Amino acid sequence: MNVEVKLRVSNIEKSFPGVKALDKINFAVKKGTVHVLCGENGAGKSTLMKVINGIHKPDSGQILIDGQVVEISNPIQARSLGISMIFQELNYMPEMTIEESLFVGNWPKDKFGKVDWKEIRKRTLTLLEKEQLSYDPETKLKDLTVSDIQMLEILKAISYNSDIIIMDEPTSAITQKEVEVLFKKINELKARGTSIIYISHKMDEIFRIADEITVFRDGCVVDSRPKDAYDMETVITQMVGRKLESVFQKEDIKIGGTVLQVKGLTSDGKFDNVSFEVSEGEIVGFAGLMGAGRTEVMRVLFGLDPYQAGEITIKNKNVNIKNVKTSIDRKMVMLSEDRRRFGIIPVRSVRENVSLSSLRKFIYDGRLHPEVENQTVTDFCKKMNVKTPDYETSIEALSGGNQQKVVLAKWMVTNPDILILDEPTRGIDVGAKHEIYKLMTMLAKQGKALIMVSSELPELIMMCDKIYVMSKGKITGVLRREEFSQERIMAYATETISQEGVNQ
Amino acid sequence: MSKVNKQSLWTSIKSKYSIYFVLIVLFLVCWLANENFVSVENIKNISTQISVGTILAFGQTILIISGMLDLSSASVLALAGVLSVSVYKMTGSLLLAFVAAILVGVICNILNGLMVTRFKTPPFIATLAMMTIARGAALMYTNGQNIYQIGAYIKFGQGRILGMPTPVIFMVTLLVLTWYLLRHTVFGRSIYAIGGNEEAANASGINVNRIKMQAFIINGIFVGIAGVLFMSRVNGGMPNGAVGYEFKALTAAVIGGTSFSGGIGTASGTLAGAFIVGFLDNIMVLVGVNSYLQQIVRGAIIALAVIYDIWAKTKRTKRKLGSAEAK
Amino acid sequence: MKKWLVIALIVSMMASLLTGCSQPAPAAAPAEPAAAPTAAAEQKEYRVAYIARAQADSFAAWLANAVKEEAAKYDNIKLDVFDGQANDDTENGLIENAITNKYDVIIVQPNNGEAQRPYVEKAVAAGIKVITTNARISGIPGSSSVDADPYMQAKVNCDLAVSQVPQNAKVVVLMGPPGNFHADARRESWKKEFFEKRPDVKIVGEEIANWNKDEAMNYMETWVQANDKIDAIIAMNDNMAAGALEVIKDNPKFKNTLAYGVDGTAEACLLIEKGLMTSTSLQSAYDLATSLLDTTNKLVTGAEKEINMDIDCPLITKDNVQKYIEMHKKAGAIQ
Repeated sequence: MNVEVKLRVSNIEKSFPGVKALDKINFAVKKGTVHVLCGENGAGKSTLMKVINGIHKPDSGQILIDGQVVEISNPIQARSLGISMIFQELNYMPEMTIEESLFVGNWPKDKFGKVDWKEIRKRTLTLLEKEQLSYDPETKLKDLTVSDIQMLEILKAISYNSDIIIMDEPTSAITQKEVEVLFKKINELKARGTSIIYISHKMDEIFRIADEITVFRDGCVVDSRPKDAYDMETVITQMVGRKLESVFQKEDIKIGGTVLQVKGLTSDGKFDNVSFEVSEGEIVGFAGLMGAGRTEVMRVLFGLDPYQAGEITIKNKNVNIKNVKTSIDRKMVMLSEDRRRFGIIPVRSVRENVSLSSLRKFIYDGRLHPEVENQTVTDFCKKMNVKTPDYETSIEALSGGNQQKVVLAKWMVTNPDILILDEPTRGIDVGAKHEIYKLMTMLAKQGKALIMVSSELPELIMMCDKIYVMSKGKITGVLRREEFSQERIMAYATETISQEGVNQ
Repeated sequence: MSKVNKQSLWTSIKSKYSIYFVLIVLFLVCWLANENFVSVENIKNISTQISVGTILAFGQTILIISGMLDLSSASVLALAGVLSVSVYKMTGSLLLAFVAAILVGVICNILNGLMVTRFKTPPFIATLAMMTIARGAALMYTNGQNIYQIGAYIKFGQGRILGMPTPVIFMVTLLVLTWYLLRHTVFGRSIYAIGGNEEAANASGINVNRIKMQAFIINGIFVGIAGVLFMSRVNGGMPNGAVGYEFKALTAAVIGGTSFSGGIGTASGTLAGAFIVGFLDNIMVLVGVNSYLQQIVRGAIIALAVIYDIWAKTKRTKRKLGSAEAK
Repeated sequence: MKKWLVIALIVSMMASLLTGCSQPAPAAAPAEPAAAPTAAAEQKEYRVAYIARAQADSFAAWLANAVKEEAAKYDNIKLDVFDGQANDDTENGLIENAITNKYDVIIVQPNNGEAQRPYVEKAVAAGIKVITTNARISGIPGSSSVDADPYMQAKVNCDLAVSQVPQNAKVVVLMGPPGNFHADARRESWKKEFFEKRPDVKIVGEEIANWNKDEAMNYMETWVQANDKIDAIIAMNDNMAAGALEVIKDNPKFKNTLAYGVDGTAEACLLIEKGLMTSTSLQSAYDLATSLLDTTNKLVTGAEKEINMDIDCPLITKDNVQKYIEMHKKAGAIQ
């Protein structure tokens, strides 16, 4: 191959006090290719990307663009060098409209130096049309879903006409349909000569989109090869540094009596007449396309939103879920899909985040018992395999996967009977995913009832005993384990077939 | 490796306690600047002078941590104070007067709390309204005139117990109370969570509205006590008293490291913040700095203290961020 | 339902607190009734706008109350009181409104004389009779004024201090807000009438306490630390003098400290009676009010066209303080 190198990173080193984050990193991205970076959370991928994007300054080493050594000291400079980055954790201003957010910091001006709103509207509409997105340019970001906003971020980077686009897990929050749009776009960009650095954990995706793959582990490059010289097994092995069973095997668990029974649950305008059952030791999946109403059902069930009709029965007792407290008291907890918004208290420590929902366990007899708290936090964090320098570190300093484990630890401390997991593996790496699957299996074994909402069909099929499929606020189908197949689930989700009797 | 660890331990201590370093450095500078600064009586004086503002600041600290604030505290202080003074003049009972002040503080803050929790008014607006209402009520009640001859009422603010001025004893007691509330109660933990991320706190089973209301009620108790101390210290019921004290209180809290974005702050930090301002005011009068220059210096030092504190904290976060990422 | 119950309860508690307590009525009838309105033939009622500097300022409030009561004695005068809220803009707006509403007389207690001057000129030009008071805005032809002379108010104290303050004395000075006419004029008087005549006296501390008792207390507490001896407290008003005295009242080291103020407030009179404070000069809101209404009456009845007068500023010392305590007792400010 004789393609010219667009970006080269040479002997980059970066240390943080006490830790070597990057150790003599070398790698090169060729012009007009997709270079996939994979590695477990904390392997150093994000740190390297932050170095390239000018957020961190390297201790030594060089960055070369088109063979020229460049000094990148901030993201704005990076952008002027043709580098754009789409972050995994989206930070956005909820009150901004779509058109404002697309052009923020980069406003087109008219000849008087005034922001040219007509031009903005025109360009926004062109962009949206080109990407086949049907948004109103005046919609506020807070009214959009996570996937919509991520799609906009991608649009924004494209609109800068960057030569190098860094995408940090761009598909972790978007639907299959949107993934297809994205991949189409990536191929277009490639054809135009843009280089793309693509960070992902999803093996099927990696092998669809990559030209070259570089594997990171513990701050070092393990290997870098063209895609054709790799197979999935090798990548996973290199990432974790040990042999993993490539597919997680669910164990057979005895299913006990019914724990949770929902009948005719209705929330006006969101979902209608939803009924389902979950038993001890059972993992029940909820499949469906984005906007099918799965998350909305779970929010109501957990007491975050009100409902207009329906009956909720927990352990044969009719319960009226008024707020989150009532459901926690009934030993029902929920891991939210939007971790930043509903999961973590960013400025507080790991310890405080873990103990937040069980404060009465540590605060009694009129005082806090730090030894009990520390012990519990340590135990549960170890069980969840949370990687953190110490438990007083603020949670926002952890990687996404570790934050998720902390939130899970918080719920485990309450010793729940029913766990609602809304997209529990979104945005976390293969190793952490396996840990979550293992934890779920362990919990099911303990006789807990689990509800898993996921957009990744393979994981639902692998983990669940029963899958409910939703479409447009209604349950359109229910499948037992022996009936599982991606095709059938998609058929119900798109309502190409429907099942009699499900909604009765 | 051990060198690295030692260094990071030092950095961590330095950043965690940065505001106390500022306080100690300022103390030493003051000591060098004037021989009268370090004396038992002068330190007692400074403590007495800052006590009313600091008690308000403890209430503010709780509110700011939970993502709110109280602009009405000085006005409610005046209303609670003048009503308390006149209750004393009518009944001759110090106890009733004390209770009356707390009652007024609590009632005004329940109204603040209702505005915020029931009617979803931003705390800035709700307490701004209360600020005007309470001051107006205090002036209306007294017809704008000071109430004199308050007799034994001055015991609250001018007495000494075992040589310690009573306002200082109140301040220390409320410091301990605030520390206890923030560290040892479910309420305290909930306050931090609400300020850090209200939606996540709610999704973790915390009754956000109830906790916010409790925060206002506690603030009300503090404001009531501050009202008694203020009026008793100036030996009169002054409806115009304590103008601007709400900003004194906010200043102490913010210098002490309480974050206006919520979720961060401690009672002892606030006390340190109050002492920084107290030392500064005291030393400038002792040295005889020009009155106009005093205001400039005060502003500059406040800005510097906060800049240093934020800088030290950012360094710590970056360090932790780095090490967590690299793992 | 529960919510409204709570609100109702709170409102009723507030109401009972506000009304249940006895009102410390500050301004009762002054000693003698003013000249009764004579012109019985003429039953015309004149509308008078009284624009106060700030109802939240205790002297201004006292004056406004006194003016209200004085006005009640005149059948031919209908008085409306407006609050300038210690804000030039507000006060200027109130003057403009009064012009638009065609008041017969506008009495202005300026927040800042120079800021109100053009508006007062405008009112005069509109043919309205204007009286400026506490402090007067001088040099506007056609307008009248009633004031106490701040220079004189301080001077009567200075004259006493010149002979009382010991040789080589150390004194502290408490000033009012900078830029305030009375604050500046009183300080100027102390400079000319006392410090220039007594070059041996040393100022060991001088601070702006903004007329406030609590600020004065804080400064005095610090000065006491730095000085073994303070021979005299020179305050531009009684509030600040009282604040400084609050600090040293039980301290034997400062038993002989002299203290001078201005205003003749109830508190100052009590302190003089107790021997803690040395002297003050009376700026009587009653006298001002009596003169203001008298002037108003003379202007509207056409008896005179323009009046500029100063009320007396009698010195209050231990010798004559009983008289003033009686005055305050009658007004209800002292029990």
